[in-house]
Amino acid sequence: MKKTMVMILVVLLAGFTGHAFAQGKQVKAGFVYVGPVGDAGWTFAHDQGRKEMEKLPFVEPSTYIESVPGGAESARVINGLVRRGHNLIFTTSFGYMDATIDVAARNKDVVFMHASGYRTAENVGTYFGRMYEPRYLSGMIAGKMTEKNIVGYVAAFPIPEVIRGINAFTLGVRSVNPDAQVRVVWTQTWFDPGVERDAADSLLDVGADVLAMHQDAPATLQAAEARGAYVIGYNSDNRRFAPNAFLTAPVWNWGPLYSHIAQAVHDGTWSSEQIWWGMKEDLVQLATLSDRIPADVQTLVNERAEEIRTGNFHPFTGPIKDRDGNEALASGQIMSDPDLLSMNFFVEGVIGTLSN
Amino acid sequence: MPELLQIEHIRKTFPGVIALDDVSFTVATGEIHTILGENGAGKSTLMNVLTGLYHPDSGKMCLDGTEVHFTSPRDSLACGIGMVHQHFMLVPAHSVFENILLALDKVPLLYNRKQYQQKIQKIIDTFELDLDLDTEVWKLSIGAQQWIELIKLLLRDCRLLILDEPTAVLTPQETDRLFRVLRLLQEQGKSIIFISHKMREVVEISDRVTVLKKGRSISTLDRGSFDREILAGLMIGQDKIPEWQKNLQMSENIVLDIRNLSVRNDRGLADLDQVSLQLKEGEILGIAGIAGNGQKALAEALTGLKPVTRGKIFAGEVDITHSTARSSYISGIAHIPEDRKSIGIAPDLDVADNLIMKSYKNPLFRRGFFQNRGAIRRNAEDKVSRFAIKTGPDGSPVRYLSGGNIQKVIIARELSENPRVLVALYPTRGLDIGSAEYIHKVIVEGAGRGMSTILIAEDLDELLKLSDRIAVMFRGRIIGYADPRRTTREEIGLMMSGERQDQAS
Amino acid sequence: MKLVIERRDTSSTLMRFAAPVASIFVALAFAGFLLLAAGINPLEAYREILIEAVGSTYGLSETLVKATPLILAGLGVSIAFRMQIWNIGAEGQIYIGAMGATWVALFSGLENHWMLMITMFSAAFICGGLWAGVAGFLRARWSVNEVIVTLLMNYIAILLVDYLVYGPWRDPQGFNFPLTAQFADAARFASFFDTRLHSGFFLALVFALLLYLFMERTVWGYQIKVIGSNPQAARYAGMRTGQAVFWVLFLSGAIAGVAGFSEVAGLQYRLQHGLSPGYGYTAIIIAWLARRSAIGVVIVSLLMGILLVGGDSLQMLWQLPIAFVYAFQGLILFFLLGSDFFIQYRLKLIRGIRHG
Repeated sequence: MKKTMVMILVVLLAGFTGHAFAQGKQVKAGFVYVGPVGDAGWTFAHDQGRKEMEKLPFVEPSTYIESVPGGAESARVINGLVRRGHNLIFTTSFGYMDATIDVAARNKDVVFMHASGYRTAENVGTYFGRMYEPRYLSGMIAGKMTEKNIVGYVAAFPIPEVIRGINAFTLGVRSVNPDAQVRVVWTQTWFDPGVERDAADSLLDVGADVLAMHQDAPATLQAAEARGAYVIGYNSDNRRFAPNAFLTAPVWNWGPLYSHIAQAVHDGTWSSEQIWWGMKEDLVQLATLSDRIPADVQTLVNERAEEIRTGNFHPFTGPIKDRDGNEALASGQIMSDPDLLSMNFFVEGVIGTLSN
Repeated sequence: MPELLQIEHIRKTFPGVIALDDVSFTVATGEIHTILGENGAGKSTLMNVLTGLYHPDSGKMCLDGTEVHFTSPRDSLACGIGMVHQHFMLVPAHSVFENILLALDKVPLLYNRKQYQQKIQKIIDTFELDLDLDTEVWKLSIGAQQWIELIKLLLRDCRLLILDEPTAVLTPQETDRLFRVLRLLQEQGKSIIFISHKMREVVEISDRVTVLKKGRSISTLDRGSFDREILAGLMIGQDKIPEWQKNLQMSENIVLDIRNLSVRNDRGLADLDQVSLQLKEGEILGIAGIAGNGQKALAEALTGLKPVTRGKIFAGEVDITHSTARSSYISGIAHIPEDRKSIGIAPDLDVADNLIMKSYKNPLFRRGFFQNRGAIRRNAEDKVSRFAIKTGPDGSPVRYLSGGNIQKVIIARELSENPRVLVALYPTRGLDIGSAEYIHKVIVEGAGRGMSTILIAEDLDELLKLSDRIAVMFRGRIIGYADPRRTTREEIGLMMSGERQDQAS
Repeated sequence: MKLVIERRDTSSTLMRFAAPVASIFVALAFAGFLLLAAGINPLEAYREILIEAVGSTYGLSETLVKATPLILAGLGVSIAFRMQIWNIGAEGQIYIGAMGATWVALFSGLENHWMLMITMFSAAFICGGLWAGVAGFLRARWSVNEVIVTLLMNYIAILLVDYLVYGPWRDPQGFNFPLTAQFADAARFASFFDTRLHSGFFLALVFALLLYLFMERTVWGYQIKVIGSNPQAARYAGMRTGQAVFWVLFLSGAIAGVAGFSEVAGLQYRLQHGLSPGYGYTAIIIAWLARRSAIGVVIVSLLMGILLVGGDSLQMLWQLPIAFVYAFQGLILFFLLGSDFFIQYRLKLIRGIRHG
């Protein structure tokens, strides 16, 4: 009898520890990408982070699957990674949210990390970056550099992530140039060089002399370069596409985050949480500023960046008015994270509509 | 005479079909050589081989004693072999001159119009053709359009002319004229391959006749050693010509009464101009006329395919002037359309499905929403055996059937519900003797049962043989009647050309 | 010497089956060289593709899941093809069908599973049907080319769904992300064998059978065949071709709409942007390859499913770029479509001596 009791206890314990993600295990990571790794944008930035993570000694060579469409299609790919023995899976697009939750529910011993979403589970965490911080800084530069006071913004989809970026950018622009306006054009695509180029050209046609973008293809950069305007990139330091027009770019630096998560899984300390790192943790940055930006502006931006890093400044600090002049945030208040995450209005200074 | 063309043991197969098995014959310089054969005997395939459209699997083709291989019609033309097709390759809106120029090779960008006109005019004069170079083609008669095709080939110095059923669309007078031209060509040393079904013409024009049967050339006969019976016998072989007896007794009941019927075409011109006609029970009324003189409009008005502008049509006591195709069929008017493939059949469907095309809504062939496949199959089996239709493997589309068998399918369908009236438009056009005879038999037997027929045909022999009365149409009117027992081909021919008004009816 | 193309007078049954099979092998041989160039043993790769797609319950289930919308949309397109009507709009009809089903699932207030299923089905059927019916009406009434109408209406359909998910139908709990709320359990298909295989697949098979019976056994199917074969003859036989055009396009769109229903009720459980990654266009290829037969549509869709699902393994095992997978799938389709040519034509090498 005693023996049996011990046996049961051992099994139970083993079960528990197994469930709590055993310590010191090797990490085999899989990545699901929404674009091709060569997109010079979003997916490229993730892949840089993946490579940095692989340098950790306990991380086995990782696998990535590129150009996976969102929705039902992605569940099969995620499941495929699980079935091939991956124990940590990063799904790097909002469209994979349901699929990630779905596959995770059937595979409790695998850790899933979903970027940019809001659904979590016992073994699913989310991660994202406070991209609005460098966006705000890049807006300051745009505000200083525009002469016609029209800044163009090529944007993918009217979802909170993108809207937040536009608003932060606009607040940055108006903080240094209250007369400037930000004109938004929606493309309804993350990656389509042709469509993005058309959108950028249309903004240049209405007189924008600085462009910004929330897109994964470098078409906006190329358009600005071709027409002699300035441009602010996105995702990664993509100045090679626009050597003359490039000012700076809010960029992703996924390496530290991926390494951090891999470490936690390895150590057995991982637990489901919603990670939202910012400039403080170096997840988001501003690419090296172009020489064309006057020294005084560079100084101004660098000082503001330091304030953000140390927590002394938050871009979304009241008073903030929405596009129609109504108060969106009272003076002195700082916007809460849930409000940031579900942002669905334009701040004053944005020209554009939220319905596509 | 020296041999111009030698064909030796030509064989051409398509998957599952031997189109040409073993064909040999020769054509001498200055010879008119007829190729005679039933539909499906391989005539078209043979011509396509001669003009380079198909490439034989085996066999030899020699021109002037040298073996030739054609890879396209361009090659055969370059060797002096040209063909006048049944369907002319002309642009109707363009002038005669432009159409001829279009067919010529190597016309310089800036051409000397006068020089070409003179060249063409010379040919027109030589053959005494009645053709104005500046007339638009659509204004010309079919016969004149055929000359354009001939001139095209002569301008290219063709030595061997192939004419595919050239007389099918001509009046007797036009045929005579064509034959005069052919003889002139012959005198100039041109060779001609002539394809026809009409025995009378074959006997009249040919120097030699080669009979084709089931892809084989079974014999070549010299002038003097053939007549109609011999040729017909060779061509049909063992297949018996069905026998039928014409019904001489006719009731006086009028089944179809057409009163002052007028039909206008899309351009607002009168296709039918005040036509009145009475059809008696069991009567076969032949309608003669050169194509385009209102016969087709008459048939279409009767079968509800064309709206009537003025006048009335009575079937017995019922006014069917404004009926549709379907309702006129239901009220007992069957129709053998002129253009079999374009309105007669659904080419992708099999025989069984085609046979019920007009009666698919009949309770016999359906159970509610569903078709009664069993009944449809039994109907097909019955019709196939009764009308001697040669079908392919089960369920194969009718488009693979020969013209004669397609026509039989249409007739089997149209006659299946014992119609009171049959409107037959050129029912034997393009058919071989066996099939044509069969269709004659069906029509005559129908008459015996009391079915009345309006028979529109171009072959006067056919009309004379079958009809109880012949009405002649000219420019949308009936200009007179002829009694087939007393009239002659020539008299009807004159009426067809509008030169003669009437004969005792 | 000259290579000429000859039309075959008849195409043999053997040829009809042998040619596609042979073409697949030729395509595999071609792709094999590409694989060799990438340093991969082609035989091993093909084995992996097969194992991935049909080698396990899971793989097989995923292939069937993938084939489901293809079968339905393919059937829809193929029935229109039977009448020589070209429905290029299955993509849009899928979206509109999904929209109809979603409306019922979210806003009808029904709670009973079967009631919901039947109502959702009917909504999808009618919505998809009416959407395509517009093209049918225009074609029947004013001879407007249905290719253009159905194609352009795809864009309208997709934008309409975008409008709904970004606007009025957005999930109030969804942090303003462009998604509708998830369906209640009662509005979802059952799934089987602990996989994603859902009732939609069986629904698709039932539809294939029904459509086969419809075409081969009913009076309407007969009319469609006659009209498709020769519209003039059909009019001559007293058929109303205008009405038939409308109803065939209605039916065609309705079945494609059911594909949309199956996707939202069986897999995604909500309406969202990117619901169909081009199923409606793939369906055109499928209907073409299937030679208009319902059974053919099922076979070709399954083959397509294998190809799409199996392609994953190329990425996962060898990290081949997605472009290679596309090229591989493209090669097979190219040769399959090519075999169609060889069924109807043949090439022949002949000696040509120009005489004179």
